[in-house]
Formats: sequence, structure tokens, C-alpha cells
Amino acid sequence: MTRDRDEPPEATTATSAVVGDPSLDAPDAALAAAVADDGSAPFDLDGLAVEVGATRTLLDALERAGLLLPHHVDADGVARYSSADARAIRAGMTLLDAGLPLGELLELARRTDAAVGDIATPAVDAFLRFVRDPVRGTAGSDDEAAERLVTAYQRMLPATETLVAHHLRRRLLATAASRVAEGPGHTDDAANRNDADLDRGRDPGNDIDTDPGRPGAPG
Amino acid sequence: MKLTVRTEPLEDDRPLLDLSPVSDPVAWIRDGQGLIGWGTALRIEPGPDERRFVRADQALRDLAHDSDIEDAVDLPGTGLIGVGSFTFDADVAGSALIVPRVVVGRRDGVTWRTTIDPDGAEPVAGVRAAPPTDPPRDRPRYAGSSKPDVHWLEAVAAAIDRIDAGEAEKVVLARDVAVWSHELFDQVDLARRLTARFPHCHTFIVDGLVGATPELLLSRLGEVVESRVLAGTVGRSEDEVEDAALGDGLLRSEKDRWEHELAAASVREVLAPLCEELTHDPSPRLLRLDNVQHLATTFSGRLSAPATALELVAALHPTAAVGGTPRGAALAMIRELEGMERGRYAAPVGWTTPDGDGRWGIALRCAQLAGARARLFAGVGVVAASLPEDELEETRLKLLAMQAVLDPS
Repeated sequence: MTRDRDEPPEATTATSAVVGDPSLDAPDAALAAAVADDGSAPFDLDGLAVEVGATRTLLDALERAGLLLPHHVDADGVARYSSADARAIRAGMTLLDAGLPLGELLELARRTDAAVGDIATPAVDAFLRFVRDPVRGTAGSDDEAAERLVTAYQRMLPATETLVAHHLRRRLLATAASRVAEGPGHTDDAANRNDADLDRGRDPGNDIDTDPGRPGAPG
Repeated sequence: MKLTVRTEPLEDDRPLLDLSPVSDPVAWIRDGQGLIGWGTALRIEPGPDERRFVRADQALRDLAHDSDIEDAVDLPGTGLIGVGSFTFDADVAGSALIVPRVVVGRRDGVTWRTTIDPDGAEPVAGVRAAPPTDPPRDRPRYAGSSKPDVHWLEAVAAAIDRIDAGEAEKVVLARDVAVWSHELFDQVDLARRLTARFPHCHTFIVDGLVGATPELLLSRLGEVVESRVLAGTVGRSEDEVEDAALGDGLLRSEKDRWEHELAAASVREVLAPLCEELTHDPSPRLLRLDNVQHLATTFSGRLSAPATALELVAALHPTAAVGGTPRGAALAMIRELEGMERGRYAAPVGWTTPDGDGRWGIALRCAQLAGARARLFAGVGVVAASLPEDELEETRLKLLAMQAVLDPS
């Protein structure tokens, strides 16, 4: 399927859209400002590519696939990215360097995006229902409500990140332990009686010699 | 060399793949029909360059001239026959046309056996009597690629830039994945699974190259020629409505229609001047396979002047379905950007007879097996409207499908 490769970013992000919204009262405006203030965004896409040592081709692909979301879109319509975005890209490149194919990483990222998207809405709803609503109902003034909401948000966001990251880590390690314990389930007899070049196949590296002229090579 | 060639009817209705007494036969099978052969009466190795097809063709004709041939069946594929595959790149050696010692063929309910015996040669095993047994199997395990896919993504982007700059209209870029296994990969076992999964494709085995191709490069039976071009691909869905929507989307996709038109034009331009009548689908049809849906155009015609199947193959290869448009510029970009040796992938595979009949497919959806190692391939047509990540995903899905066929679990 085809999309326009030069399609500009679609307007601005949801978070910054509500900043300065005159329809918000003071407590919600303060909360909206806190949600939008996720650090600075010093990079455009070219700058981000330089910062992390990736190509524009790779970042364009991630951006089009919805896996690289801009921090915000500035007044000139340019998507801006933060240092946290740069760290995330570097993390992905670490996985590529370790041997994970890009195609598989993109597929995992798409699945993660879908799963996280499913959780994000009820998680925010939970915050609004069980934290914001009680604060709004019990605060003595708008200033107090604003302060309590921003404080709660600033405590809860990192706590949520820690919780999710820790749970993912536990899940990964438990699954890995279980899969490794299963073992290969086969003897190595066939591999041993085949050509010694098979040993190269066990290397996790991405580069192999496929010279068709080399004895034992599959080319 | 003088050969004694005898073709006689055979009363045997078992699947052709069950009849080989060896694990490395040659085969060409579709919908239960076709042929399987084993042993080697002669191996014709025509070497590299553009004339490799006609040299192999001529060598087979020379062989027939010197041979004693009695054919009691007289159908396409009976008598002396060569089964072969050629390299994609003219400069690369590795093409071969194999004349087996025994061939069992089947067409329109008639089964035959051809024996091809060089003077003084030792006898070879006959048709296998015992039912087939499952070989030891292990799953395919990833070993890497000639070009890491993150770099292949850059190659696709570079191709798009060069197409945008007017260097070509379309280029087909492929990539490979190497896999290994704890057990030896079995050619017949893989072919059997391919025929089960893709019964309407041409399943082939030649020199360890095993695959099931939906693309018929050229069939020539007497004066009648046929070709089926595929280009433009989308996945399938288990949901019927979604599956139909995917197919409709493909039929309406301007990018895929353009990619397909270039491939169809490359066949039409070769066959039209050689045929007194050449008919084809007015617009591409949807061909649904087990794992993907393709845009397909079928050509059929009647030759206006004599030409053998391999002479026509030589003129057609590489079509824009595996090379690009224009051909020269596309091949140059492939050599520069692809970063792998295609070997016999995306190249003609099939059979031919000394009278010029033959059926040749393009070796797609295939694996090159070598002991407990295998190399799998997938390619995509890149045009100006392509997106690198979508092309990468298409190759990933195609490679996964082939790995799934290799996986016994």
C-alpha cells in the first residue's frame, strides 16, 4: 500500500493541544501544562538522526509507522523530538547491533504500540476518575486543586513507568527462563555429521558468507 | 555420448514425489501432474553469459541426434528430457540442465516411465516400492542475512531516490535469510509440504533448489506458448471480509497496478513479435495463494516462427517481475544495491525436450538446501511510490511463509 513519503506531520500532539486552552479552568489548565511539559525538544528529525547516529531513512520509516511520535509540532509545522526520544532510538539501535533484524524489531514495536495503546486509555481514565475527581471534589480552592493535581501527576508518572518497566522485565525474564529450560529438544548428531561450516550458523551475527563457490555453502 | 531412451506407460497412481528412490531427485509438479527424475545420464553445464540457455538447448538437441529413442507414449515431456535451473545473473556460473537416468511423468491421467541409459552404464534404482517415511526433522533456526535488513532498508530507499531521479521505473530488490537445523533438510520432504500447501504452484527440485513458484515464465508445447506474470502483492486474512478487502485494495492500488503493468509489458514486448496471435487478460486478475494475493496476467499465443522453449526463455529473462524496467538500468541497480548473490533464485527453472517443448517457471518462494543449512529468498518490486518499511515487511512475511513450510512443528 502506498502513502505519501513527504506527508508533513499532522498538526500538533494531543498533549500540547490543550495547553492554553481557554475552556479549561485553572486546575485542569495546570494539569494540562504539566502533562505537556515533558522536557525540552531540541531536535528536528535531521537533528535527531545526527544525535543518535541513525539515517533519515530509518527514522522516516519509524515515524511513518507511528513508532516515533514527536514531542510536539512547532509553529512552523516541524516535528520536534526530545532527549528521551533520542535515548529510545539508541535503545532500538542497541537491539539491532545485537543481531535483532529490523523487520522483527518493527513488528515487536507495532505489537507493543497496540498493547500499550489499549492500556493507555483506561490508565488515564483511572487517573481522572480516582485521582482528579476526588481532588476536584475536596480541594478548598482552585490553587490547591491545581497544586495537588500536578503533584499527584508528577509522582504517578514515574511510578507508572517503573511499574510497567519492571513488570515487562519480570515477564521477559520468566519467559526466557522457561524457554531456555525447555532446551533444544534435539541432539546435535545431525549437525555434527554435517559440514563444519554449520557452526557459523550458530553465531547470532547478521553477516554470513554465502559464497556459492565455497564447499558446503548453501548458495 | 550415445543414449538409449525408452518411454513406456506405467501403471502407478501414487503421488510423483513418493516414487523417487533417492533423496535428491529433480522434480517439476503441479496439481499432481508433472515429472520426477533421478540418477544422472548427463549433466549439461553451459557456463555463464547470455547464451547459457541456447548452449544448454543445443547440447540437448545434439544428444538426441546421437541417441536411440523409442517413445510409446508421445506426450509433452516423454522421451529424452532435461530438467534444469539457470543462474539469475548471466555472469555467474552454476546453470545446469540435467538429463536423469529415470523419469516418471504424469499428464492428463497418463503415467509413464522413461529410462535413459548411456552405453555401458551401471543400472540405477527403479521406482520406489515402499511407502515414504518421514525423515528426522528440526525447525529452521535463524543464522543471518547476506545484508542485514537495516542496510537493505537503505538500499530500497536509495533505489526509490534513483527511480525518482529518472534512472529507472522499477527495480526488484531481494534479500536472503540463512537458516540451520539440527537435522539435515530433506528436499523431497520440503517439496511434499510445498505441494500440499501450494498445490496450484509449480513445485520444483533441482540441485538442492526447492520451491513452489506461482509464476510461469514460459510454456511452449508445439506452437502454443503461455506465460503467467505476477507482480503486486498483498497478504491474506483469516477473516473473509478482511481478506476480500485486501484483494480489492490490491486491485485498486495504483502503485501495485503500475508495478504489475511494467512486468506484464516486459513479457508482452518479447512474445508479441514472435506470435501470430497473443491474447492476455485485459486487466490483471487476483490470484489468491495460501499466504499472499498477487495481481496476475496470463498470456497465451501461437508462435509465428519456430522457437524453442529455452530460446524464448533466453529472450524473456529477466522479466520486469524479477529484474525491473528498463532491464539494463534495473540490473545495474540490483548489482549495486542488493548486496547478495542471487545464484539461481529468481531465475528460470523447469524442463525441456529436444524438440523445443518445455515449461519454465521463475524460481521464487524457494530455498537452496545444503545439508543442515538452507538459504531462503524474498524480493519486492520497488517503484517511485514504494515505502522502504512496507517493502521490508513484505519480504519479512514472504520469508516467514517459507520458514513455516520448513518448520515441522
